[in-house]
Amino acid sequence: MARFLHALALGVFGAGIVHIVILLLVPAYSERDAWSALSQQANFYHPVRLDPPGAPPLIASLDPLVDAVACRFDLRDGVVQVRSEGMVPYWSISAYERAGLNIYSLNENSSPQGRFDFVIATPAQMILLRNAMPPELNDSIFIEADTTEGIVVVRAFVPDETWEPSIAQWLRDVECTLH
Amino acid sequence: MLKSVFLTVLALGIALVGGAGSVWLALERDFGFGSVAIGSWIAFPDHGTPEADPYSRARFSRDSDLALGRAEGLVFTARRDDGGDILLRECAYRIEGEMPPARFWTLSARDAGNGVIRIGGGRSPALHSQALLRRPDNSVAVTVSGRPAPENWLALDGAGPFSLALTLYDTAIASSARIAEVELPRIVREGCDG
Repeated sequence: MARFLHALALGVFGAGIVHIVILLLVPAYSERDAWSALSQQANFYHPVRLDPPGAPPLIASLDPLVDAVACRFDLRDGVVQVRSEGMVPYWSISAYERAGLNIYSLNENSSPQGRFDFVIATPAQMILLRNAMPPELNDSIFIEADTTEGIVVVRAFVPDETWEPSIAQWLRDVECTLH
Repeated sequence: MLKSVFLTVLALGIALVGGAGSVWLALERDFGFGSVAIGSWIAFPDHGTPEADPYSRARFSRDSDLALGRAEGLVFTARRDDGGDILLRECAYRIEGEMPPARFWTLSARDAGNGVIRIGGGRSPALHSQALLRRPDNSVAVTVSGRPAPENWLALDGAGPFSLALTLYDTAIASSARIAEVELPRIVREGCDG
């Protein structure tokens, strides 16, 4: 009986260890992440609509009243510039690391005159940029991202259907370029 | 000999089944240390950020998700009404009360697979704060039901459980430590079909 209880206690203790190990391994072994979904759609630096019209959204949690584009980048190739022209009622931008964790976000209220022109760079690249600023990045807002590969997502609010064409056009105009 | 083999197998079995099963259960239920519950609404302010707890991280990685950042907004989800019953698509609900400060908010209904419930006829799948009927005291009441309702109506169809997603955009409460003191509207069941 004592040996049975011993085995039982050992089992429960082992279950605790297995619980922790599995819990910590799930993110590492998951292949259903946003990165894989995006890489099936387009290559690096090519913006992809997260809610393609007439198809299920790539990101299930996306708000039905928000249109979004995403592009993948790799800061080892250089800094990435994300920009678009024109005005929309509300936009926001987020930078995600490879696993899809949000490392930086900003909405249009925090940008001067609602201008949409961002540069994502690592802390080391920021120092280099400050020393010799390329003229085409002069007006950009800089986002410091401590990551190599990552995803940048631009969201725009669509108050009603009549806004849809102009917001879709604004999102099509979003450029994701390598510098 | 046989007895010790049996005991070893028993201990190993409990460890593997119990360990894996408890992780699965914790991920299926909305278990998390970082959750904030206000009435029937639950939010995970750290969801999808590097600060998230391991349960939130594991749940996040199981579905391809890109969560809203702190500066973008915060999502509150409700799966139950204020009476504690699971939200059902064949029932009618009234959502009434104060909304926390935000630039704007949207309210949508999602099915069991987290897909947005869309009914035909050109109706918008979600309501938002910039196009709502308001009472003289600026409060808002929304009816969520399968049958058309006066004032603000969020349309449902079909049967089975659903959840409500209330997304607050550009809201100060997302980055505030006092998020649990925020007031959110009540969800009251009005009646069911059948």
